[in-house]
Amino acid sequence: MATTARQSKRSPAELQALLREARAQRGTSLGRDAWRRLRRNRGAFYALVFLGLFLAVSWLAPLLPLASPMALDLAVEPQPPAWPLTVNPRRSLAGERPPFGAAPTLSVGALADDGWAHRTYVDVELETPLGQLEPTENPMVRALVTQTAERKATVYLRAGDRPGTFVQRHALPQWDSDRARIDWQPSGERGAVEGTLVRGVDGLYLKLALQRAPGGPTVLAAKARTAVEGVEVELVVEGETGRETRRYPMPWRAAAGARVVGLQLDGVRLPAEAERDAAGQWPAMPDELGEARLALEIAGRSIQLSADLESVKLVDTAGERVALETRARVVPELRAVVHDDLGSRIDRRLTDIGRVVGLEHTDGIWELSALDAGLLHLRTRIFGLWQTGPLLGTDAKGRDLLARIVWGSRISIQVSLVATLCSLAIGVTWGAFAGLMGGRIDNLMMRIVDVLYSVPFIFVVIFLITLLNEYRVELADRGIGYMTVFYVVIGAIYWLTMARVVRGQVLSLKNQEFVEAARMIGASTPRILLAHLVPNVLSVVIVYLTLTVPAVMLFEAFLSFLGLGVEPPRVSWGLLAVDATDSISAVVIYWWAVVFPSLAMGSVLLALNVLGDGLRDALDPNLRGKD
Amino acid sequence: MIRFLARRLLWFAITLLGVVTISFFLMRAVRGGPFDGERRLHPAIEANLAARYHLDWPLWRQYLQYLGPFDWSDQGIGALLHVEADTDALQRLPADRVEGRTFRVGSSVVTWTGELGPTPLGGVLTGDLGPSFKYRDFTVNDIIGQSLPISVALGSVALLFALTLGLVAGIGSALWRGTNIDLSLRLAATAGIALPNFVIAGFLIILFAFLMPLLPVAGWGSPRHMVLPGFALGAPFAAYIARLARTGLLEVLSKDHIRTARAKGLSEWLILVRHALKGGLLPVVSYLGPATAGILTGSLVIERLFGIPGTGSHFVNSALNRDYTLSMGVTILYTVLVYSLNTLVDLVYTLLDPRIELEES
Amino acid sequence: MAAVLEVEDLVVRFETHQGTVRAVNGLSMSLQPGETLGVVGESGSGKSVASLALLGLVPNPPGVVEAKRLKVAGQDLLGLDRRGLQQLRGKEIAMIFQDPMTSLNPLLTVERQLTEVLERHEGLTRREARKRAAAALSDVGIPAPETRLDSYPHQLSGGMRQRVMIAMALLCNPKVLVADEPTTALDVTIQAQVLELLKDLQRRHGTALLLITHDLGVVAGMADRLHVMYAGRVVEAGPAADVLTSPLHPYTQGLLRSVPRIRGPLGARLDAIDGSPPDLAALPAGCSFAARCGLRTDACTKSPPPLVPVLAGRRSACLEAEALLLRSGVKA
Ligand SMILES: Nc1ncnc2c1ncn2[C@@H]1O[C@H](COP(=O)(O)OP(=O)(O)OP(=O)(O)O)[C@@H](O)[C@H]1O
Ligand SMILES: [Mg+2]
Repeated sequence: MATTARQSKRSPAELQALLREARAQRGTSLGRDAWRRLRRNRGAFYALVFLGLFLAVSWLAPLLPLASPMALDLAVEPQPPAWPLTVNPRRSLAGERPPFGAAPTLSVGALADDGWAHRTYVDVELETPLGQLEPTENPMVRALVTQTAERKATVYLRAGDRPGTFVQRHALPQWDSDRARIDWQPSGERGAVEGTLVRGVDGLYLKLALQRAPGGPTVLAAKARTAVEGVEVELVVEGETGRETRRYPMPWRAAAGARVVGLQLDGVRLPAEAERDAAGQWPAMPDELGEARLALEIAGRSIQLSADLESVKLVDTAGERVALETRARVVPELRAVVHDDLGSRIDRRLTDIGRVVGLEHTDGIWELSALDAGLLHLRTRIFGLWQTGPLLGTDAKGRDLLARIVWGSRISIQVSLVATLCSLAIGVTWGAFAGLMGGRIDNLMMRIVDVLYSVPFIFVVIFLITLLNEYRVELADRGIGYMTVFYVVIGAIYWLTMARVVRGQVLSLKNQEFVEAARMIGASTPRILLAHLVPNVLSVVIVYLTLTVPAVMLFEAFLSFLGLGVEPPRVSWGLLAVDATDSISAVVIYWWAVVFPSLAMGSVLLALNVLGDGLRDALDPNLRGKD
Repeated sequence: MIRFLARRLLWFAITLLGVVTISFFLMRAVRGGPFDGERRLHPAIEANLAARYHLDWPLWRQYLQYLGPFDWSDQGIGALLHVEADTDALQRLPADRVEGRTFRVGSSVVTWTGELGPTPLGGVLTGDLGPSFKYRDFTVNDIIGQSLPISVALGSVALLFALTLGLVAGIGSALWRGTNIDLSLRLAATAGIALPNFVIAGFLIILFAFLMPLLPVAGWGSPRHMVLPGFALGAPFAAYIARLARTGLLEVLSKDHIRTARAKGLSEWLILVRHALKGGLLPVVSYLGPATAGILTGSLVIERLFGIPGTGSHFVNSALNRDYTLSMGVTILYTVLVYSLNTLVDLVYTLLDPRIELEES
Repeated sequence: MAAVLEVEDLVVRFETHQGTVRAVNGLSMSLQPGETLGVVGESGSGKSVASLALLGLVPNPPGVVEAKRLKVAGQDLLGLDRRGLQQLRGKEIAMIFQDPMTSLNPLLTVERQLTEVLERHEGLTRREARKRAAAALSDVGIPAPETRLDSYPHQLSGGMRQRVMIAMALLCNPKVLVADEPTTALDVTIQAQVLELLKDLQRRHGTALLLITHDLGVVAGMADRLHVMYAGRVVEAGPAADVLTSPLHPYTQGLLRSVPRIRGPLGARLDAIDGSPPDLAALPAGCSFAARCGLRTDACTKSPPPLVPVLAGRRSACLEAEALLLRSGVKA
């Protein structure tokens, strides 16, 4: 009622004038005024310039002659930053292309292209020849490896784990056939072998569990042993035709050389080798392995491990950083046919010369967009095979830190932008709708926001992401990548504040004179929205956005840190932070791995925050026209 | 006041019920149970486990059992209601069993037997969060009971750091505004807000573990163990509090009533303490709610980094392990914590600001 | 009797980014005990700034206060340190602020805000102070003062708040009371009450009152003498009744003409002064009022005219004062 009374007082001319004023206020003057004030705010201005430069570098990453952010080199210790600028020629890999017919791991357009190839590393342990102090390369072994692998190898040497030995590492372009493959064939058996591997300083410990279908033949004796290619469980069973020996091989290189501390057969705990006595009883577990506890010194920290490896107790402490690996293979009425991996094939041919002690693959494929692939191509046209040396050092896996920081920034920026836009879309729609509708609907919608506010959202996100992880194959089939889901989930939690802010702004604007004036002269609702509300809400939204971007970036890092975010081989700043904290061990510290990623992340977040504050001041209507 | 608390409690109950219900059904809706994934168990064993954790029950019954307070197992209300799966056999039940006291709920057939055995209470409503799926010898209450005191201690230390550092910096920066002290404090605050806590923690570890080994960088037990993680966890909040305190104080100091106080001849100190601080720190008080929530969140990372056996690590792990009960238990716990702290903060706020009436909000 | 307030050549500047704002330019005045001096002038003429300067409350930066002499109750304000100033404020000189809505601390009870003055200046205990505060409240006509002491400002009406402000100012019987538009925020009946109250209290305590207002009616009823301010300068001074009946400055004339008259012809147009006050950051070389003045001569724009005696007890800063005097027909 009050408004109509007020409206009727105004003449059309006055209304027109009001409108003109409103339009003038919102249009050029607002933007120009804000820009003027932003420029005068030196901190914010520099932040803007810095961010601009940073964005440019980040988006042009494929064009820069950086080392590969994902090429592992496990042979060497992390390298400290090497100044002054060292530039290494990138080796041509043209000669290392797999022969026709062999499936290369690299796919076209992947970051792994050309100099970014995935590697397979074969470590061969050799005796240092008598009378020789420094190990020298054994050309015969290299020839043997090259011959077996049918590829050229690059060789690194390092000291061996046992005295008098050294390890000759062969780096090869990776082929699919380098990995062991198991073809399962029907066997008439049913069961599962499962192993738990614990790495202690004095070696590896393995516990095996064998679960078979009930009603199977009686087991008379069981034996578990480890070898280079993995673990094997041998059972002597009472078959239809009499005693027969069955083997359950488990290709599991990591378990090579582990000490088997126990074998669990259908729930019965046994020593590594056991045989039923005449009465059909299994032997008792030796005491020492039964209840005694193994104290292991791991990286200077003492942990206690129960002999059955069921529980790990921290005595003096430091997190559950004990390497516990579990692996299971189900044998559902199948028999495993093992195709050896490259390591075993080489090992067989080495005979007495030495033995293969390690086989490692650099994993994963980093798909590049067409644009990035183009840029990468352009880069080779410009820089040829040249790339920078470890300007900021290398990380614990020998990857170039500078390259990782730059490439990592791309994902961090992408996540924060996309997620922020998501939050923008949801928040603005929600808030504007509530504000415009008003009354009961507004009340209800804002109540919902309140309730959501009081839920600890981080937990919901972790929860959602783990749930969505279950369905990633299905999602991928529909062309929805994991990253997309990730963006949407983050965006979906940041819309609450945005909704509140927008609603508040809409409410206050709705009752303002120029909107009333516009309504009086007969402007339609959409027109009012577009011409009057949107520009006015915009400044608030922009300010909030600039503050959301760093928050989301932080959140991505947080999730990646917890292992819920970006996945290797891709790299984001969160993952760099994980690498950094992992590189802080009790013994040595690779400070560059902590300092440089932190600096990069810190400076960008700082700049974003400063810019956000500056924008807030610049767009604050209360400060408009002042300094 | 009472009405305010009652209303708060009502909303809280609704929120909590919503959280419990949604997460319960979401978790079960997802393919894959808690016992598959890494290890595949024998069907017989799996069936055994499923029976132990009631996974063989229809969903609604599992939910009611989880929620409590009644025990829906066959020893409890289950004695009252005879529940059978809706199998073909049941379809062909004799007529007398299908009529009268038998009805269909979801995919099961429920018969009212009318004989109530002793009904032990349990479930979330009685504070019993059930057995853990992963740590099979422990209940969720055990696990939380072991780890919560640690997390609470860590959180309190962090909050203490945040408040003391933040207030000192904020007030100092407001009193010396425009000077270099102000400038450097503000820069530090912006940096504190911008840097994630694990970055701060990384620097702290380098500093204290290697450059000057004064404090332990991992583990838990003595007060000395709390300093670094507490600081790393509290630093971003200290920065935010400093900023809030500064702007709040400056705003109050520019108010007319401060001029009145000056005109009365009060000393600057008294003006600050009596007239400015109370109003200037109101924003800090209302920030304490979000801050505690943030500290809880941050503790997930900090606990992992410093090897502290708190509740935070359980949260992430349980979500990854699909340890339904533990995961939900921690979610419920944190919801309760955040909600009650928020209510407390609102109460304190209204005590400080006489203009706010509790009933309004 | 010695003057309780002596001001000579008071200058207040604000050094801002846009330049120097000269809010007060050479203000002089003196006040005898029990006397009421009215200060009128349109909005922005520097009244509030000048009164703040009397308590040493001009914010610095950006404000700079200079004066040949600035004495309150015999003490030189300019020579006092912070402690000295604090002891003076509230005790010897007190102020009632323009806006009672924002001038009280919303987070403290009325009691706390009243008693702290007494605790500070008279060293009373909290209980004694409470008694005095209650008495002061009943002095200013607040019913049930004991219960009012426990309320917060937002629980009081505007008129009550202004009374609390007055009670607060008078708690220590100051020698000088500066009232900066004490009635502007109030409705007419309350206005009259508050003014009566001020008069009454002044009579009882012998307080000198500096009454700042732009309401000429208020001045006519209250002030003994009157200063008219324009752009930070006093342009006319003299006994209130005389100035209001026969103004000797065109600005005063303009002010008087723009006051609506109940007795005047119905529907008569009010004569607002044409133009607007000068920009204080760029004052003209001559008389600040010249641009709006009907009597302007070339001499007016050369240098600012000094405030000189025209008649016994009457001073004007207009070069044409004599002419005005002749026209008005007042005898020398
Ligand atoms: N802190 C300040 N910085 C800059 N200029 C100021 C400041 N305080 C006051 N001024 C200026 O001093 C001038 C005089 O202000 P003052 O408040 O004394 O006016 P006034 O005569 O009391 O007006 P009103 O009748 O509206 O109260 C104004 O032009 C004002 O802009
Ligand atoms: Mg004023």
